[in-house]
Amino acid sequence: MATDAILRLDDLVGGYGRMTILNGCSFSVARAAITTVIGPNGAGKSTTFKAIFGMLTIRSGRVLMEEEDITGASQMRLLARGICYVPQGRNIFPELSVRDNLELGGVALGTARAMRPRVEQALDRFPVLRQKAQVQASTLSGGQQKLLEIARGLIAEPRLMLIDEPSIGLSPLMVKEVFATLQALRDAGVSILMVEQNARSALEISDYGVVLETGRCRMTGPARRILEDPRVARLFLGAEVDLDDAAQPSSR
Amino acid sequence: MFWDNLDLLISGLATGATYALVATGFTLLWQTSSTVNFAQGDFVTLPAFAIIALHAAGLPLPLAMLGGLVAALIVLGAGFKLALVDPMLRHGMLPLAIAAIALGVAVQEGSKAVFGAEAFAFPGVPGGFDLGPLFINWQDMVTIAAAVVAVIALQLFLSRTRTGRCMQATAQNPSVAQILGIPVRRMIMLTFLLNAALVTLAAILISPTTLVKFDNGSSIGLAAFCAAIIGGFNQVRGAIAGGLLLGVVENFAATYGPDQYRAAVPMVLLIGFILFRPQGLLGRATERAV
Repeated sequence: MATDAILRLDDLVGGYGRMTILNGCSFSVARAAITTVIGPNGAGKSTTFKAIFGMLTIRSGRVLMEEEDITGASQMRLLARGICYVPQGRNIFPELSVRDNLELGGVALGTARAMRPRVEQALDRFPVLRQKAQVQASTLSGGQQKLLEIARGLIAEPRLMLIDEPSIGLSPLMVKEVFATLQALRDAGVSILMVEQNARSALEISDYGVVLETGRCRMTGPARRILEDPRVARLFLGAEVDLDDAAQPSSR
Repeated sequence: MFWDNLDLLISGLATGATYALVATGFTLLWQTSSTVNFAQGDFVTLPAFAIIALHAAGLPLPLAMLGGLVAALIVLGAGFKLALVDPMLRHGMLPLAIAAIALGVAVQEGSKAVFGAEAFAFPGVPGGFDLGPLFINWQDMVTIAAAVVAVIALQLFLSRTRTGRCMQATAQNPSVAQILGIPVRRMIMLTFLLNAALVTLAAILISPTTLVKFDNGSSIGLAAFCAAIIGGFNQVRGAIAGGLLLGVVENFAATYGPDQYRAAVPMVLLIGFILFRPQGLLGRATERAV
């Protein structure tokens, strides 16, 4: 997968305050593919996204977008460079209309007039959002809000989307719709880096998988191989993974 | 009886309109930067003193008001944020709130040291007109009209302009605003400047009635704080409604009840709301998702 990477993390070390979360994290993200990051709680999955998106103190290492160093770049520059970030949880502006929420996705990129066609395009893509364009975003269902966040990210016309736990709190039907949206984006050439607690179903729609543990990349490869790897199951049970010692049965 | 009550209602609305302006600024600061500005009342006194001083120094009144506004923008807007809020907020909301109380004391004692303990007259709009058996003060009318214009202008700015929407976005969800490349720090600074403008306008409108005295800020600040909470605390519309309600209730209570308890009215109203309608006039019962 390193042959055509859109993003590469190179030995990232960083964290919050004095606490170090990322301990030399390195992996790359393939172009026009879905890459899913999995790992136990506290492995540094969300932190990795924050590091990429300039929201974390990085002590050493680099983030490279198409070999250009974007370590710690401003959000405005990252958006202009074609990266958008859809964080975990509810991230809408509840008291603004759906349309205003979408327009705010383009604030950093151009005038309101210049962004208007992109907003229309987003509303075309998600008819449910067009129906509710004028209502307060807080009245949308959880799944619709997630679609709104994705649509708002797309206003930036990103080439790489970072999306953190998109399925959390959604009904199975909505999860399917969100995943289908991500697949459609991938087919349209957008590269997607996703964190998912729901690892199995995420890997099933992914092209590649990355396994993080204690702030390091422990395993990377085609999603199918990760899915079938017996060590992955052990990792999710919280056991230490020793890659040299994988054949030995767990004491538990 | 009807006309007397109408009279009380109008003057109550005029006082309430200035409370609403101060409470709106208070709410804006809370929304965008978690600043509970306990010095907000004293923020009203300072521009009043500045305008009086500039006027006494020979500037015509409009220019003195403009000078007061500029001084407020620099000192109460940018200066307050950079010198007190930014350093204190790093340690949390409570240290900042306590620092704001200290700032209020410093402003009161400082202005007493400079201007003394006497009350200064502040130029207003004299006279009035008869409406049936009722005499209406021009000052009340001007106060209500100016506050209404200011509030509508503020609402239009917040809802119709891109900068206003970016400010709302910053208030509703600062981390997502940052992710979208909204200049969050600039938006927060803008809130402090808006607050400085609002307290200056309130100072100009309320000072002809209350006169200008070093400790005026205590009662105005308390009223604005209560108005903000009564209105729902995190809503500009709520602060306006709360301010108007408080002004009117205070006026009626002072007329029909014992005058010496006038100062207790905001607190009584506040306690009533906390007990029976904790979400405020226009607030929602649920907490906003973060």
